[in-house]
Amino acid sequence: MSSRVTSFSTRSAAWRISLWATLAFAAGALLVFASLHQFVANDIQRRSDAWLSGEVGTLSDVAGRTPKDRLHNRVVREIAELASKEVPNRQRNDVPENDAVFFLQVSDQGTPLLWVGAGDVKPVLDAIQAGKPITDSAADVRVVGYKFPFRVISSTVNDGSRIYLGLSERDQHHVLQNLRWRFTFWWLAIVLFAALIVFLTTRNMLGHVRDITQAASTIGDSDLRQRVPTTDHQDEIGDLARTLNRMLDRIETSMHQLHTITDSLAHDMRSPLTAIRGRLEMSLSNGLPIEQADPIVAAIEELDRLCDFLNSSLDVAEAKADALRLSRTHLDLDELLHTMVDLYEPSMTEKDIHVRLKSSGQIFIFADAGLLHRTISNLLDNELKHLPASSAIQITLQQQQRNVLLRIEDDGPGFSEGIRHHLFDPGIKGATSTGRGLGLAFVHAVVHAHGGSIAATNLPRGGACISILLPLPVATSVDEPGVVLTSSTS
Amino acid sequence: MRLLVVEDELEIQGFLRESLIEAGYAVDVASDGGAAETLARKTAYDALIVDLGLPDQDGIDLILRLRGLGIIAPVVILSARRSVDDRVRGLEQGGDDYLTKPFALAELLARLRNLLKRNVPATAELTRLTVLDLELDLLKRRATRSGEVLHLSPQEFVLLEYLVRNAGRVVTRAMILDQVWGMRIHPDTNVVDVHIYRLRGKVDTEGREPLIKTLRGVGYVLKGH
Repeated sequence: MSSRVTSFSTRSAAWRISLWATLAFAAGALLVFASLHQFVANDIQRRSDAWLSGEVGTLSDVAGRTPKDRLHNRVVREIAELASKEVPNRQRNDVPENDAVFFLQVSDQGTPLLWVGAGDVKPVLDAIQAGKPITDSAADVRVVGYKFPFRVISSTVNDGSRIYLGLSERDQHHVLQNLRWRFTFWWLAIVLFAALIVFLTTRNMLGHVRDITQAASTIGDSDLRQRVPTTDHQDEIGDLARTLNRMLDRIETSMHQLHTITDSLAHDMRSPLTAIRGRLEMSLSNGLPIEQADPIVAAIEELDRLCDFLNSSLDVAEAKADALRLSRTHLDLDELLHTMVDLYEPSMTEKDIHVRLKSSGQIFIFADAGLLHRTISNLLDNELKHLPASSAIQITLQQQQRNVLLRIEDDGPGFSEGIRHHLFDPGIKGATSTGRGLGLAFVHAVVHAHGGSIAATNLPRGGACISILLPLPVATSVDEPGVVLTSSTS
Repeated sequence: MRLLVVEDELEIQGFLRESLIEAGYAVDVASDGGAAETLARKTAYDALIVDLGLPDQDGIDLILRLRGLGIIAPVVILSARRSVDDRVRGLEQGGDDYLTKPFALAELLARLRNLLKRNVPATAELTRLTVLDLELDLLKRRATRSGEVLHLSPQEFVLLEYLVRNAGRVVTRAMILDQVWGMRIHPDTNVVDVHIYRLRGKVDTEGREPLIKTLRGVGYVLKGH
């Protein structure tokens, strides 16, 4: 049971469907996030830039107007520090040293006049002077010793000096990184959840389809009374099951009609035949002289043949409509062939026909014993009737993968050209045949009813060959140990 | 021995009655299930012969109802149907027998005898069968005639044993195929005849009284005591 579930899971379309659905969902979610991320990043930068340009305006105003006394530096410093506390996106107020903002005033000769910020002024000044000249629109500046770049804006003071205001992009980066981490976590969680949901849903749905397929494949083989399982859901799967069942109803009805016709035909013919045969037999037992008994004996024999013909032709008719009723049992083909050869061997020897049976041992098939007995007896009757004296028959029985192959070869004249391609049609018989030409048609019908195939060929070295391929029961197939189909034949 | 024949076809009913009386049975007939039930309630029959296609009901239903009434006499089921009903198989396993129409009278009589024999308490299983000077040792699988060993193949021994067990009664080809080879087939060749012919060559040798007799159109009989 468990192996059946595994083999279903790996072959099921549920995997493929959920894989593709998950991929599409994940990609879509990623795209949405990328555009959101872009929007947030742009917005943060826009706000930073707005703050920077506002502050740098104020600071250059203050720096220009304040008299150049000792107080000047202090005022500027205070304003700068005040400003540094208004940094947007600040998250860690507890950090004592303010390394997120710097203020730098540079004289027109390029020497630093005032520096407010954490660390040394040198790398900042170098970085500003090394890059493109910074104007009143913000630009990125990478400073040696700092992990994150600064957003720097500049303004000219009346005395010709320039002031620079820089804002670290560290906090912006932290915000975005935080956003990305959160997104990754939720994205993974949601994608996995969605994959699970999709997989379970499709597997459940396809499970119904599989049940229907499995049920449908056993119907007809065994029993037309079975139906595929239906669900109460008014969806496509439910419709499929109901449609299949309606179709089966119709097939069963026509099959039933066919059986009724053949059965009543058989019944209507057999009853008078029984009466006739009984009367003939009674008249025989009254000690008739031979010359009077002979025609009666001939009549009885002809009557038995007629009856056999009736049975076989009805079987062939039913088999052609796929309506032959089989009552299957497990039977050993090897044993059956040995018994048959044993039965036919004296008659063959009498005609100087040599029979050889080559079999690889027990081979069990699940078949209708009565029909199979008649089939093989038909084939051997054929050989017995049509082979010339001192011929040889070779019967081979062997397993071929999931089938059993039965070959009957002889070294006689083979099938004549005229009938070779219609051998299995009813009414086809050899020029010398005294039968009604139903033997091989019956064999063909039985083999097909058992899901097998039959071929008749002439051998290159001369002689005829009939090969019959019959499927082995699924459970004993050696290729798939453990896979057991639960057949529910009633 | 009193038998009840339940058969609606008057022709068949007629010849069954005649031939069964000729075979030494007392016979009552019924043409439908209702009449059969009335008769079976009144009389204790030794065996029943029931056709499946009765006008008023299915033969099997009749048998099952009679069984329900405590009538346990064995039944030979006659069927003109093509497929053997599962319930018929069930009855067959339960000790009843069935025959497909048209059947040989000899076969009907043989099956009837077998069923009636089953009703008699079983004697100890025989290890030795004797007919005139023919003796079969069932344990050693050895056959002798007037003390002289007959060289039979195992298959020939089984065939001879079947004939000896039915000594004095007719067996048909179909019965031999069914009982000795276990197949219900009707070969349109002389396979059974050749087996009998061979056996006869070994059993009925020159100078001995022939035991195996052919009844043309019917079957074979091994001379009784």
